Amino acid sequence: MASSISLPRAESTNPLLNALRIVPGVLLLAGIGYAGKILEHSVNAYAKSRHWAFPNIEYVLWAILIGLVISNTLAIPKLFQPGIATYEFWLKLGIVLLGARFVVADVLKLGGISLGLVFIEIALSLALMTLLGRLFKLKPKLTSLLAIGSAVCGVSAIIAAKGAIDADDEDSSFAIAAILALGALSLFTFPAIAHGLHMNDVSYGMWAGLGVDNTAEAVAAGALYSDAAGKVAVLAKTTRNAMIGFVVLAYALYWAGKGQAETVTNKAAFLWKKFPKFVLGFLLMSLLVGFHVFSKGQVTSLGNLSKWAFLLTFAGVGLRTNLRDMSKQGLRPFIVGALGEVLIACLTLGLVISANRIWGL
Amino acid sequence: MSKDSASTPIPTPTPSPMTKERSFSLDAWALIVAMLLALAVKFDVFKNVPW
Repeated sequence: MASSISLPRAESTNPLLNALRIVPGVLLLAGIGYAGKILEHSVNAYAKSRHWAFPNIEYVLWAILIGLVISNTLAIPKLFQPGIATYEFWLKLGIVLLGARFVVADVLKLGGISLGLVFIEIALSLALMTLLGRLFKLKPKLTSLLAIGSAVCGVSAIIAAKGAIDADDEDSSFAIAAILALGALSLFTFPAIAHGLHMNDVSYGMWAGLGVDNTAEAVAAGALYSDAAGKVAVLAKTTRNAMIGFVVLAYALYWAGKGQAETVTNKAAFLWKKFPKFVLGFLLMSLLVGFHVFSKGQVTSLGNLSKWAFLLTFAGVGLRTNLRDMSKQGLRPFIVGALGEVLIACLTLGLVISANRIWGL
Repeated sequence: MSKDSASTPIPTPTPSPMTKERSFSLDAWALIVAMLLALAVKFDVFKNVPW
């Protein structure tokens, strides 16, 4: 999820100059995202006018594909990099605003179910990745990073854990590359499998939120299926993200116990530092809507603002996916990651199908 | 081993900006901007935002 974000970090002492640095990249994100939206409408309208049986390709896929083509065929000038790196800011902004489209009762019901599933998913993922890491003789800290990344929230979790367990930059880069490459693959495989299984929107959204590691890819994989599935994917993924502090703390304590990481003195402060605060914003927005602070039209406006923020995120997902860079990162961590991810995807699919039978998602 | 290769320092991997923990302050920015947008919608500065 995380990348080289320039927005909140002052690169220069002049804040105006810093703000200006992100403008070209943000305009590029907006341009690609909007082109995706135009393509969705025009391609579908053209296919309809010609009576072609053409699948409805959502703006999400167009935006990602345009970004992918640009980042893998052209050298993007440095001028655009700071703005492109803001895609994570748009993701978090979109998630907070999306809270307005959730009724509190839905958050409690679906959030409760997803919390139960998240506990099982995290336990299974950690155990599975640790086992595979040992089988393939990966370095123990690289195994820890892969386990944390696949269990909780992808790149953010790896970055959060890196400092806590005192892992190498090289190990972190391997783990991040594996998680990002597999996240890119899941964008195409998850919706295809779900269509094959005729999954309903809620079940699929829950599966995308549980099975796809990186938040941006999980949101995109959900939105690729349907708007409703995208909403549920955000909820499930946000629940998973909320667990980041606990998992990283457990690993920090484990490595500190082995004398290979700094001792955690204040556990509560550690948990608060690692807790993704945007989750609180999501809940606050849902509560405000629950207390009728906004009219129906205003809720629609907030939902639409959330969609615009996600539009920029999806363009960023395509732009920062560089297949050449990923292929340089070595095969073994990728194989371990891929094996683990396939197994986790199967297990979470089984979990969601079972939950659907028990609670009727 | 030639003199040149012996004197060439072994390249060490450059830490990627992606591996730096810096995403968490983004949460504060996202919260502030979201709340400002919510206020703008509440007080009809942004009315009927299209999609």
